Amino acid sequence: MAKIIIDGKEWEFEEGMNLFEACTIARGGEKLPHFCYHPGLPVAGVCRMCQVEIEGVPKLQIACNSTVRDGMVVNTRSERVENTVRQILEFHLLNHPVDCPICDQVGECALQDQYMKYGLYETDVDVGDKVMKHKAQAIGEHVMLDAERCVLCSRCVRFTEHITKTNEMGIFNRGNHSEVGVAPGLSLDNDYSMCVVDLCPVGALTSRDFRFRKRVYRLSSVDSVCPGCATGCNMRIEYADGVIYRQKPRTNLAVNEYWMCDQGRLLYKHVGGDDRLEEPFVREDGELSPVGWDHLWSALKARWEGLGESRRLVLVGSPHATLEELYGLKSLLADAAGGRVLGHRLDGTEMDRDDGFLMAADRTPNDQGARRLGYEAFTASELHDAGGEDALLVILDNDLAGLDEAAAEALGSYGAVAYLGWRENATSRVADFVLPGLSYAEKDGVFVNKDGRAQRFFKAVDGPRQAREDWRLIAELGEIFGHTPTWRAHHDLLSELSARLDAFGALAGGIGEEGTLLDGDSAAKEVERG
Amino acid sequence: MSDFPKILLDNVGVENSHTLQVYRSRGGYKSAEKTLKTMKPEEVVGVVKDSGLRGRGGAGFPTGVKWGFVPQNSGKPVYLLVNADESEPGTFKDRDILDHDPHKMIEGIIIASYAVNCHDAFIYIRGEYGWIVKRVQKAVDEAYEAGLLGKDILGTGFDLEVIVHQGAGAYICGEETGLINSLEGKKGQPRIKPPFPAVVGFLDSPTVVNNVETIASLPWILEHGADAYRGIGTEKSPGTKLFSLSGPVKRPGVYELPLGTPLRELIFGEEYGQGMLPGIELKACIPGGSSVPVLTAEETMAAKLDYESLAEMGTMLGSGGCIVIGDDASMPEVLKVLLQFYHHESCGQCTPCREGTGWLDTILERMLAGKGRPGDLDLIERVCQNMAGLTICVLSDAAVMPTRSFIAKFRDEFAALLPKDEEPEEFVPIARSAEDRS
Amino acid sequence: MKQDTELPKDPEQGKVESPAEEPSAEPSFAFSPEREAKFQEIVRRYPTSFSAIMPTLWLCQAEWGWLKPGIPEWVAERLEVPVRRVYELISFYTMFYTENPGKYNLQVCRNISCHLMGAQNIIDHIKKKLGIEVGQTSADGMWRLEEVECLGACGYGPVMQVGDRYYEHLTIEKVDALIEEWSKSE
Repeated sequence: MAKIIIDGKEWEFEEGMNLFEACTIARGGEKLPHFCYHPGLPVAGVCRMCQVEIEGVPKLQIACNSTVRDGMVVNTRSERVENTVRQILEFHLLNHPVDCPICDQVGECALQDQYMKYGLYETDVDVGDKVMKHKAQAIGEHVMLDAERCVLCSRCVRFTEHITKTNEMGIFNRGNHSEVGVAPGLSLDNDYSMCVVDLCPVGALTSRDFRFRKRVYRLSSVDSVCPGCATGCNMRIEYADGVIYRQKPRTNLAVNEYWMCDQGRLLYKHVGGDDRLEEPFVREDGELSPVGWDHLWSALKARWEGLGESRRLVLVGSPHATLEELYGLKSLLADAAGGRVLGHRLDGTEMDRDDGFLMAADRTPNDQGARRLGYEAFTASELHDAGGEDALLVILDNDLAGLDEAAAEALGSYGAVAYLGWRENATSRVADFVLPGLSYAEKDGVFVNKDGRAQRFFKAVDGPRQAREDWRLIAELGEIFGHTPTWRAHHDLLSELSARLDAFGALAGGIGEEGTLLDGDSAAKEVERG
Repeated sequence: MSDFPKILLDNVGVENSHTLQVYRSRGGYKSAEKTLKTMKPEEVVGVVKDSGLRGRGGAGFPTGVKWGFVPQNSGKPVYLLVNADESEPGTFKDRDILDHDPHKMIEGIIIASYAVNCHDAFIYIRGEYGWIVKRVQKAVDEAYEAGLLGKDILGTGFDLEVIVHQGAGAYICGEETGLINSLEGKKGQPRIKPPFPAVVGFLDSPTVVNNVETIASLPWILEHGADAYRGIGTEKSPGTKLFSLSGPVKRPGVYELPLGTPLRELIFGEEYGQGMLPGIELKACIPGGSSVPVLTAEETMAAKLDYESLAEMGTMLGSGGCIVIGDDASMPEVLKVLLQFYHHESCGQCTPCREGTGWLDTILERMLAGKGRPGDLDLIERVCQNMAGLTICVLSDAAVMPTRSFIAKFRDEFAALLPKDEEPEEFVPIARSAEDRS
Repeated sequence: MKQDTELPKDPEQGKVESPAEEPSAEPSFAFSPEREAKFQEIVRRYPTSFSAIMPTLWLCQAEWGWLKPGIPEWVAERLEVPVRRVYELISFYTMFYTENPGKYNLQVCRNISCHLMGAQNIIDHIKKKLGIEVGQTSADGMWRLEEVECLGACGYGPVMQVGDRYYEHLTIEKVDALIEEWSKSE
């Protein structure tokens, strides 16, 4: 450990730690002014904003390329530092159009923040003397570039060079004609392209999906976890007035670091998508008709009872469902009500290529949670064999019919099918009862990612008026089958399962910011990965 | 100057001096042979340290000390990069060695490589010197054929590969880390330090970058010893140095002089510049390449050409590119030429330099176009202040030094470009606080 | 001096260029046998393929005079390096040409020592004589005039570079004679 003094106060940090990071801690979380430094990228040291005074060193030094040494005395707030930063900021603004009112970055622009702070409202440069560059070019399916707003921090270039290694972007020409862009003939279409929008400290790179849809200062944000695959990238859902506007990665060094894929980022579109199940449906005279909840429950109860003395309950869970829902389904409908759990997924489905970065082969978010609860994969023929005229099949958010033709046929062998889910699909279309639930953005829950890390996500927006929380629907189903759940509130589910099941003992003390690893095996894996 | 041995230009002027045959007939490669056969690498480093040889590219850092920074047994190869990217305005000295005595440089490369345990050397020649690239390549080929390069040099078991590399037009590649990046196939943008190239340089390996003239001084030093070299020049600036003399003098050219020689000797000496062209009086002189502060005529007459004396006068020896300015020249116009150069050559990565060089150029252009504004000179000074010492490399400072000194020493000429009806006012910061505005 | 390399612009906002969909008339390139051998030597001797980009570009300019469309891609493919690295280099260094620099590219040094010796007069004279501006190539592709930065011939100014050669101690008469000679060489 090294003892160092920052702004007059003594601190202990690891010798060799990045000084920028040390200063952030010493400044109570307030980062030094900066554009180019990013903890997830190699240091560039070009914006020159994070200047600090180090005693014994005549010139000011950039903190991002300095390391903590024992005995160091650092000043981040001296007049000399402040003056210098103000002057460098002036250079940054020199060829910048300062067109904030028509720029979509307003509210989350590092340049704007700094010049408001330093009060640099006017310039000695005539507009006609500014260097003109390309405006508003679409450089990829998801990203727009305004080169005049660029401060040439090179984050996007470093990202595409070192993180995705796709090398689409570069800085071309030199001096004050330097211009960021994609190389001729290329476009920025890698699977992580929108990360450059997050990285861009100014309004040069903006999301084609998000731009001009909402001023960012009108957005609220909630912590969430991407449901797109088994990696479970941490993210924030940003919304306003009940509408989601964008999803952005949330830093979790143990999972996704600072990044997420475009696919996951754009999943929110399904939340308000045309295929939302917005009302309960019951099949009457061969047609699915929208009905009220009371109608659905009584029809379902009648149908259940009509299946005769030998009636049975067959349950299909889902790797898309939350840990709480899966526990509820199993503990209430299987263990208490005697239903048979077939499993949580059709064997071999919803797998794609592992891209070696964040996109996992398993495109479901909670396979590991389901397996730890005792769910297993099953085949279409097992689905068929479990059927019969006396069987009621309850499917939780799992498009069996859409995933496999044989499974679709197998559904026909059941006396009745009830589907709980939030999107219309091939399975909901053949079901007899459709119970509209909520999407990941409309409820709280826990997913266990591929490394066995349990991660919480939270509700951002309300679901459709008639949709219900899935765990409540499961509880209602319990009532139909004659069993009242032991849990009254959603959080009871998590406390109960962590108390009752050894596999989830680690969750008894709550789930940490970076999630909680469920078993030592994965913890070891993590160390290797790190 | 009276008596001193020619160390660098002894072969220049000899017919076919660029050929191996002529170079050898004049004793060439004997020093390298003796070094490789009779000395240990650390002894070579010792001699060079003792000789007091300082880098001739412009910074003047002691060569032996620089070599001493190279870690041995780092498990990585050591590279020697010879900086022949001569592009400091007013400097055309390395060209004489490259063109007329390339074997002297090659011999120096063998010695330096041996000293730092390098087996792969590159000669990075500026792109514009196309014919010199060919000339040097030919000399390298000759050396390979004669067993002076390649495997088992002169039967000593020492191996050395040399690649001649052609730049492609970028002043900044003369900065050693810019050169390293360029050689790695990147834009020639200087690297942040630390790490320093001696430890993490070309391909992340220990790397020594030495100027052509520095390298070409080695054969003589190793042949005659450190003391002999110290016997020339001054105590702190030993040896001889090449000076490039340009501007309106009778005999411009490249001259070898002991360090410490009076600047007026270079400009006015019978054997050297022979004074100003008829009808032109000395007005100013930039003694060390365009990036160093200018001297007035009076200062020029008093200056001595060594690192310390020039530093005392507030300027630098730099590359030894001595640019003489006559009384027919307009100082603002000359400065404009330089600022346009730095503007054009800024690599663009550090904001103060990228924006500052362009801004200075724009302000002076405006002044020369008769559109100067009161306060412009103060604005220039403020921009200079904000550019100096805040960037990865010194190109920013290189633009600032001539700018400040031109304006300080020839202020009247600049002030004459500003509107006459208004008194130049004290600079008032335009930036206002948020409160003022609301 | 060379114009900034023009990056492709998207004329229509919001529309992505998708080069993959355009019918690709990829020109194919091949070095002469000697240059191919030279290329192989470069690849063999340089420690990384990135290091070999610059010498390969020089080889291309020797072969085709300038870096015609398709050459950067071809170089990237042959060296197995990302094409953006090739484009970055081309745009950074002034001596790589993505447009035809003309048969005689008169590159007159405008820097300090040449300036002091009257470089501007030489430039003005060439402009008038050839009817072209700085940075312009004549309509017939014969001439181009460029102002360049210090060529390292400061004691011998004014100086201009044409191809691999320097022409030093320029006077207006000397320039006239050279242009006349080159005109005849056509």
